[in-house]
Amino acid sequence: MRSLSDPKGRKHRKRSGASVEQSTKPDRGFWIVTAILGLISLGGILYFWMIPTVEPWLPPEGGHPGDQVDWLFRFMASSAALLYTYVVGYIIYFAIRFRRRRSDPDDALGVNLHDNPKLEAAWTIVPTLFVILLSVLSIRIWYVLQVQPTNGLVVESIGRQWYFTFRYPDVNGEVTDQMHLPVNVPVTLNLTSGDVIHSFWVPDMRLKEDMIPGIINTIRFTPTRIGTYQIICTEFCGTGHSEMNKQVMVVQPMAAYQKWYHGWQLRNAHVTNALATATLGGKIQLAGGNVAAGKALFNEKCSACHALGPFNQRIVGPGLLGVLHDPSHPNLVNGDLAVPANVAEILQNGYTGSIGHMPNQAQNGLSNKDIANLVAYLNTLK
Amino acid sequence: MSVIAEHGGIAEHIHPEPQGFVRKYIFSLDHKIIGIQYIITAFVFFVLAGCLAELIRIQLMNANGGFLTPDVYDEVYSIHGSAMVWLVVIPILTGGFGNFVMPVQIGARDVAFPWLNMISFWIFPIAGLMLFSSFLMGAPVAGWTEYPPMSLQGGAGTSMWCAAIFLVGVSSTLTGMNFLVTMLKMRAPGMTFTRMPLFCWGQFATAPLLMIATTALAAALAALFMERQFGVPFYDPTKGGSPVLWQHMFWFYSHPAVYIMILPAFGIMSEVISVFSRKPIFGYRLIAFSSAAIALSGFMVWAHHMFTSGIAPYMQLPYMVLTFVIAVPTGVKIFSWLATMWGGKIHLTTSMLFAIGFLVLFTFGGISGVFLAAIPFDLHVHGTYFIPAHLHFVLVGGSLMGVFSGMYYWFPKMTGRYMSELWGRAHFVLFTIGFIGTFLPMHYLGAQGMPRRVATYDIQFQGINQFESICSFIMTAAILIFFINMIYSIRNGKPAGHNPWGARTLEWQIPSPPPYYNFKRIPSVYGLPYDFTEPLPYKHLEEELSDTPVAVGAH
Repeated sequence: MRSLSDPKGRKHRKRSGASVEQSTKPDRGFWIVTAILGLISLGGILYFWMIPTVEPWLPPEGGHPGDQVDWLFRFMASSAALLYTYVVGYIIYFAIRFRRRRSDPDDALGVNLHDNPKLEAAWTIVPTLFVILLSVLSIRIWYVLQVQPTNGLVVESIGRQWYFTFRYPDVNGEVTDQMHLPVNVPVTLNLTSGDVIHSFWVPDMRLKEDMIPGIINTIRFTPTRIGTYQIICTEFCGTGHSEMNKQVMVVQPMAAYQKWYHGWQLRNAHVTNALATATLGGKIQLAGGNVAAGKALFNEKCSACHALGPFNQRIVGPGLLGVLHDPSHPNLVNGDLAVPANVAEILQNGYTGSIGHMPNQAQNGLSNKDIANLVAYLNTLK
Repeated sequence: MSVIAEHGGIAEHIHPEPQGFVRKYIFSLDHKIIGIQYIITAFVFFVLAGCLAELIRIQLMNANGGFLTPDVYDEVYSIHGSAMVWLVVIPILTGGFGNFVMPVQIGARDVAFPWLNMISFWIFPIAGLMLFSSFLMGAPVAGWTEYPPMSLQGGAGTSMWCAAIFLVGVSSTLTGMNFLVTMLKMRAPGMTFTRMPLFCWGQFATAPLLMIATTALAAALAALFMERQFGVPFYDPTKGGSPVLWQHMFWFYSHPAVYIMILPAFGIMSEVISVFSRKPIFGYRLIAFSSAAIALSGFMVWAHHMFTSGIAPYMQLPYMVLTFVIAVPTGVKIFSWLATMWGGKIHLTTSMLFAIGFLVLFTFGGISGVFLAAIPFDLHVHGTYFIPAHLHFVLVGGSLMGVFSGMYYWFPKMTGRYMSELWGRAHFVLFTIGFIGTFLPMHYLGAQGMPRRVATYDIQFQGINQFESICSFIMTAAILIFFINMIYSIRNGKPAGHNPWGARTLEWQIPSPPPYYNFKRIPSVYGLPYDFTEPLPYKHLEEELSDTPVAVGAH
């Protein structure tokens, strides 16, 4: 390639400056390209409005007001197709059409065009109008999100490292495996966290809200499609964050939901709700612990994280088989001797350290009586 | 020690150039040397953080991970993000190009406070080494955003991270202050604000952001450090702190920071596109004022990062609408650059190719930014791979493309030699293909349900992730070509003369590399630097090239 010489520093060739006289008016080629780009972007716009669902781009939609989000997506994607086609189309067209050709003199210049107030006003005002339109549409859908019915089922979900638990009205304790919801019933979902910030996301419902310790955030929606939906944590929460997507939200007919609900209510009859009865803290009377009740509690609440296996068989926490009888592990994770009183102390006060995080009494919902039962059961494992 | 010369009644100081190696190249006070020091240091950190990026991509080749443990993986992406933002993009665009180019472009001999400038620079590599050394004691894991209470649980290196970012913030604040004073007080006679080159307008809009926003981050970091080391409860909710407080303070800095990272790149675009289109920049005033408008409104949108954090619903709306509004000045710039290309004689040099790549990719990132600003859609994609996709389109497709464009453009000014155009094009083609292949599919992954910051993921996404990883290797190859080209060209590039691109801003009217004092005599300015058909709008430049042979090279 030849150099771009300084127009001042070198003699002008005869042909130089010819391009300066070039017209600044758009010519036929420009309008043809504009028309072609118009057709392409029209194709894009039609595509985003004609596809029956937005499933090629977003997951299948499972409830209200997620369907509203899909509408906004169609609007924004079709607008983006229009804008982006023109910007990229013109960039490529200009770069080819106005490239310096080999026949051009070294110091050929482009047209001497500084500005065009009308054009500049147009591309300030038109985007401003579009922004107003987009704001109005977004606020309308935002408003729909705010005014969801409040008279339905109230469920509470608590994020923990690294699983979700769910609390239901009139049932003691927390569900640790999956969330059940009746179809077509509005849900008020209260979200909080027992440790660090998590985020509750069900892609099919298009709804997400952070679970922040000390704060209760609420989302309201109505599942309209029966199915099983993945619940995903989208806020980094530690080592197990990647695995915090194993639980599901089951949306089922009312009868099936009620069957599950009552069955779970029965299974939890023996659980005294620690938060409700406020028997937290204080000295735990270990004597008289009920092994059977402890076993039921273990299966209900502990087995999600603790295996009935050797210490190094970990789910989230260590395996607990023989925790009070294993001669190779005379100490607990916090360094205390493996005796019943110290195990009860961990259940009561929790543990955070190199092995991970064990919720304390305020978080795990165990009453002092529950702890006594659990320790009695753990003592029988050899 | 100063030589005082009389020129047209103006007493001017030309300090003698220091002769020792240490004072000349290590603890230099010369803004040009400091600018190059910034660029070299930032590129060293760029290589390190780029290696971390490849570790991330190797890990994600397999849905079940297995290359790194989750804890190490978390450390790797946290340091990758922190280093790329604070040790690469911000320093290279402000400290690097800003230092090298801005004082010459406004006709000054140096920045207002050369000693402060040297201190700003030397804080930066120290902070960088501290940041990377946090790997030795358990690096932070909670990403570059380090939300507490997670960051309170992180390894001991998290405190080191706080200290390193705090220091790099001090360096930024000092640089911002230095640049602001320089541009307010040291412009050459006749260099009014409406005659200032648009690169300087980019720096002028950036400087207050550096000064004001960084202090908020410093406060947040100091609080996090005190909470971690001394148990002062700012953020821990079990002790009465608020984790959301951190998010507000962090984003009060980090949203303006994205404009710190893009406004100087906008400035580079304005210079490069005008020069290589051989045409005046279209709509000079609107481009200049839109930079200021973006900087100002950049302070008022931070909570759009927090739509899922449970801030009061009615508080979300102004943030959403103001974020939409920022699209208007940004769009004005893009349309103006397009109009600058219209009717030009476009030289498709490597620098111009990167500018075109910038327009195509940054516009895409800007549009996905509008998607994210709309609360209902943001509630779906927040915290998913849609976010890394968007941020890499604006930071790599935008800022880094701008850095490359600026490197190919100003390399002849820094060294007097061209970088190879052939290898430059190879760099451009491979980098663009690799980039699009790596980051475009991430939008889809995020919308479909893949959360970000995960070491393992759902098996259905494995194919796309493997494709992305392979494309990222292509991108790495392109970067390798760039560095080889650059290092080779320092000594062996074709000589370029003082003004190889036929540019009209002041830095191209003096020898390459510029002498220590920049100008023998401070020029007078009587026009915009973009009227290609007019004679140069400068007086008193006659002597600048008198003792330098003017080599007319070929590129």
